[in-house]
Amino acid sequence: MDFSFTPKEEEFRQELRTWLEENLPEGWIGGTREVYKDEYEKAAFLRSWQRKLYAGGWAAIAWPKKYGGREATLMEEIVYQQEMVKVKAPALVNYVGIHMVGPTLMQIGTEEQKLRYIEKILSGEEVWCQGYSEPNAGSDLSAVQTSAVKDGDRWIINGQKVWTSFGHVADRCFLIARTNHFEKKHKGITVFLLDMDQPGVETKPIIQMDGQHDFNEVYLNNAVAYDTEIVGEVDEGWRVMMALLMFERSGIGGQVFTLEQQFNELVAMTKDLKEDNEPLLDNPLIRKTMIDLYTRSRGSLLNYYRNLTKTLKNGRPGAEGSMDKLMVSELTKELLSKSISIQGHQGVLWKEDAISSNSYWQDNFLYSFGQTIGGGTSEIQKNTIAERILGLPKDMGR
Amino acid sequence: MDFSLNQEQEMFRGYVRKYLDSVGQTKTAREYIKGDRESLQSLQTGLAELGCCSINISENYGGMGLGALDLVPVLEETGRALLPGLYLETNALAVPLLEKFGTEEQKEKYLPNISNGTSFFSIAWLEPGGSYHPAGITFTAEIEKDQLNLNGVKTLVPDAELADHFIVLVRTSNGKDKDGISLLIIDRSEANLTMRAQKNMDETRQLAQLTCTNTEISMTQILGPLHQGWDALQEGLLSFNAALCAVIVGAMEKVVEMATEYAKIREQFGQPIGRFQAIKHRIVDMKMDLETARSLAYYANWALDSDAEDCIQAISCARLFATEAFARISDHNIQIHGGIGFTEEMDCHLYVKRARFYENYLGTTEQYYNQAAAALGWLDNKASKVLV
Repeated sequence: MDFSFTPKEEEFRQELRTWLEENLPEGWIGGTREVYKDEYEKAAFLRSWQRKLYAGGWAAIAWPKKYGGREATLMEEIVYQQEMVKVKAPALVNYVGIHMVGPTLMQIGTEEQKLRYIEKILSGEEVWCQGYSEPNAGSDLSAVQTSAVKDGDRWIINGQKVWTSFGHVADRCFLIARTNHFEKKHKGITVFLLDMDQPGVETKPIIQMDGQHDFNEVYLNNAVAYDTEIVGEVDEGWRVMMALLMFERSGIGGQVFTLEQQFNELVAMTKDLKEDNEPLLDNPLIRKTMIDLYTRSRGSLLNYYRNLTKTLKNGRPGAEGSMDKLMVSELTKELLSKSISIQGHQGVLWKEDAISSNSYWQDNFLYSFGQTIGGGTSEIQKNTIAERILGLPKDMGR
Repeated sequence: MDFSLNQEQEMFRGYVRKYLDSVGQTKTAREYIKGDRESLQSLQTGLAELGCCSINISENYGGMGLGALDLVPVLEETGRALLPGLYLETNALAVPLLEKFGTEEQKEKYLPNISNGTSFFSIAWLEPGGSYHPAGITFTAEIEKDQLNLNGVKTLVPDAELADHFIVLVRTSNGKDKDGISLLIIDRSEANLTMRAQKNMDETRQLAQLTCTNTEISMTQILGPLHQGWDALQEGLLSFNAALCAVIVGAMEKVVEMATEYAKIREQFGQPIGRFQAIKHRIVDMKMDLETARSLAYYANWALDSDAEDCIQAISCARLFATEAFARISDHNIQIHGGIGFTEEMDCHLYVKRARFYENYLGTTEQYYNQAAAALGWLDNKASKVLV
């Protein structure tokens, strides 16, 4: 048993830390952040941040060197996530490009596709979004209805996508559409690399309960994709999607480290906030809550490290990632809920009137409701754990 | 980064599992409930032959000189089988106390016999009233030259009938709170003890009330510093609690397996009940509790072995989580089993009862919450190591 990082890993950490200190906008570390006029200003800022990451060689550290990556080890990826969480680094605007499209194309893309797309993904010149979910295909993705019909060397695509992150700024979409109707629903799906900049594609913003706009609806009305924009084989898109899961070897590390950070910030708040001149943490009821949260957030971090050890030994991630996702997202939600409760009635004060700076707890609390839904709901994670880890039978519908 | 038990540790688990399988896992516990002491005796001999009793005893006294983590797989297996007896108390409380605070004579007297599996320790802490606080210790050991004169009553003494020796918390002087408390080893063969059995919900463990009236024993039986035994005990309890967590993890693992297996074979409405999400998701909750308890327990034992900075909070949190989670999931297990889970015939209730036995064993859950808070610097308590 060994919880240490090797000198090489620590060297990597130091190199990244120095780079971040030199390249983050002035006042970012420990200062105020994310005050954008609107989502387009935010997107422009995030694009410029990705360009910086690209120039510094930090945009896609796990990628092979020949594609501009660093061939980082899994442990270096962990260090990377720790450091990014630590400085609350800006989001990676081309997350879908770097973590989904790039690795997929490197494995099963044609030479032509590799040349055409990969470098622009890395530089952020082309931002990608993911076209998976539909109004009637959320947890059950195999139910996608968006259709693609062949017309010469073109495919005519009609349908609607939803929950498309960064869809309003994306240049291209990693899209799944139905190209055939077989008895098994997950057969007959094809992955397209769709150009978003065309008359047949229209995006409409979805405003979330926290007032932000990260997601969109995407309407496809005779949108066009070409044969050259198909990934893998026609009708075999499900396999492409499944293969993709293997690339996410570091799992939900970022969320685990964020939870750890938010717990520490919550402790700081319970020391700062006073009732009758006594810090909240001196109230035995609140202290008990905090010990409980400490215990379980330590537990989730340690669970993550235990699963990480398995991934390191097996060379690929297992179904245990579902356990990490379930625990961390639920616990994050619970922690943020408590963070509002312990502020008393003042906890309802929002935005510039919030008692926490930048409305930190209120915004995170509202945002947290999405975390147990996006990336597979908690209920879906539980099905996965039950069926793939415990070997319980699938329900009749599947 | 490597957060896993090593190959040798897992291999050792394999031997112990195989042996306990061969004697029918919980069969020994059930025979013990019926009053049969022989199967436990032979099982203990078997475990000693495998080397289980000598793992954490130093080589000078016939042991293997290994650490807390090496004990973990064995403890897990004993938990899985709901083993009766005093293996945990002996190897995870008495041994660390003797190794750290014992005199040379005491070590020579006790450690080799523990190592070869012929002597077991119990602990006599609580008194009528049932408080673990220092003020609860009124059992007196009056010093008369080189002798101690013992008077008092100890209650809920675990498996007194199986114990060869007792670690007893006594008051050797009229100090305040923890001052004046000493630890004492009473040899059952040397002292005149009156014992009265107390009925325990967990019938795999026997309890007794132990009374001393002008019992004379030698001063050399004091373990650790005179009048300052409380702090020594806290050190021993760190080892004990880290080990207890491992026992609980082993039991929890079996509970999750029982629920899972039953949900696969029990059919209602023409299908296995494990197909229903109401059942499936509850079992996943149990699995999550198990794996979290395991991570916290392994880390606690690692922290103990490596004297980590967060050792005390790691152990207290692991303990409070494990005891609460064990009670929670063994309760769910009965619900998953439905009517049959409520019967004596199934093992489900044995795990519920063991969970309750451990819940407040050698310290209450509330005390461990406070101990964690103190270790994290969230309490103004000066002595963070002390159970408050």
